[in-house]
Amino acid sequence: MIAKPLTMNYLHVTKSELTTAADQARDLDLLLRIADKDEAALKELYAAHGQHLYAYALRLTEDPVQAEDVVQDVLVTVWRTAGAYRGDGRPISWMLGIVHNLALKSQRRGSIQITEEMETNLRSTEPLPEEQVQTIQQAEWLRNGLQHLSPEHRAVLELVFYQGLSIEETAGICGCPVGTVKSRLSYARQQLRGWLNRTEVNR
Amino acid sequence: MKHFIDDMPLYAAGQLSHAAAVALEKHLEDCADCRAELYFWQTLQTEIRTEDLSVSMPEGLAERALEQIHVSDANSQAAVMPGIVKRLRTSFQRAFNLLRAQAYLVKREIWPASASIMALGVILGLVSKHVEAISFIIPLVTAASLAMLYGFEYDPAHELVLSTPTSAWKILLARLSVVSAYDLLLALASSLPMLLIVPPDVLGMIILGWLAPTAFLSALALLLSIWAGTGKAIVISYGLWILQYLKLSKILLNGSMASAWDSILNAYREFWRSPGLLLILSAVLLGIALLSTRFSDRGMKPVLS
Repeated sequence: MIAKPLTMNYLHVTKSELTTAADQARDLDLLLRIADKDEAALKELYAAHGQHLYAYALRLTEDPVQAEDVVQDVLVTVWRTAGAYRGDGRPISWMLGIVHNLALKSQRRGSIQITEEMETNLRSTEPLPEEQVQTIQQAEWLRNGLQHLSPEHRAVLELVFYQGLSIEETAGICGCPVGTVKSRLSYARQQLRGWLNRTEVNR
Repeated sequence: MKHFIDDMPLYAAGQLSHAAAVALEKHLEDCADCRAELYFWQTLQTEIRTEDLSVSMPEGLAERALEQIHVSDANSQAAVMPGIVKRLRTSFQRAFNLLRAQAYLVKREIWPASASIMALGVILGLVSKHVEAISFIIPLVTAASLAMLYGFEYDPAHELVLSTPTSAWKILLARLSVVSAYDLLLALASSLPMLLIVPPDVLGMIILGWLAPTAFLSALALLLSIWAGTGKAIVISYGLWILQYLKLSKILLNGSMASAWDSILNAYREFWRSPGLLLILSAVLLGIALLSTRFSDRGMKPVLS
């Protein structure tokens, strides 16, 4: 029965990550101030959410420089459109939506295929002691597998598992129905499983 | 046994409702497949979270964004003013180009012919010591040059004009501006030598004497040239102009008829000496002439022979 305590552990972390009502009120206040062209408010907003926005941009673009550009553009967009934010949904969800759009746009502009490189890296890995092999291998195949997924599928995993968004919020950001979010999750799982099986065969 | 494959990622993310979560946990106790499934999602979640938490946000991005905002705001403000200036400049440039192009396209003879006839008038006036010679000649010269402005008869570039995207009335207006400006300068230049035979304070009177009749006769000639062709326009307008100088009473034998004709002629001469009326009428005629380019067959279509 490993599953249960593990689950509880993750549930706990996830809940702590969810923004509280106070956080939301602060975010709304920041957006109002930004709409009034308060530059300090934009800095505060970045200090509060920059890590999440950047992590999401990095997840989608897989390129630190590109991700930085995306987040900078997101801040500019927030500055220009904060007045138009109608308050439906959480501010963080609204901003992640902007990251999503800009990151995918920049992805389409200059998509980089690093599949070959990743395959070589995987094969050149040195063998490790038995007990470490298990966890490290898993982390490794997952990391590589994640990179093999399309940005759309990575987006769903990231939004649900790291950004702590609900299925509905995730659907809103990706601009698709809730059913599509669920099918993207299960497709990602199949892909990752398939990736794992293939690498095991190769070994 | 019902599996919870689809719910598993939501359960791992802590997003399943309490009731659904309880049912799933109960199922997990008996189902190894679903436990493996949960383990997969938990591992994936750990991986994603660990990776994302290790990401540190870049410093100073907000400052860079603000800098970008300042620059683009400054640019968009700077872009407003030159926009207007640029458009005005383009309009002037286009108008100037049209004027210049039309100056080349109108019948070339207009320029020297107008100038030489005007010079002839000046000489005539100076020799005869009659200032009226100028006032007589100027309307005739101007009317003739305007009658040749437009239409297939005397326009070497007429077919070209009709095939350009610039509308016919604009072309006519452009030519009109160029040629009447030229004629006006010629007329003023011709009036100056009159100072040799009259005192300077009469100069204004001389200019006023030809200005309004010239405007009217030229507008009439232009309109007639569009409607009836250059030749007829010149004949009719010249006839109308010369008519007022005719002393028909000397030709007509019958005394009563002669005096009746004289009173009509006096009224007619009076018409040519009322500058206000003439100027208003010439403006009306010009307007009709510009409109006529749209409807007149002669103006629009070259006659196929």
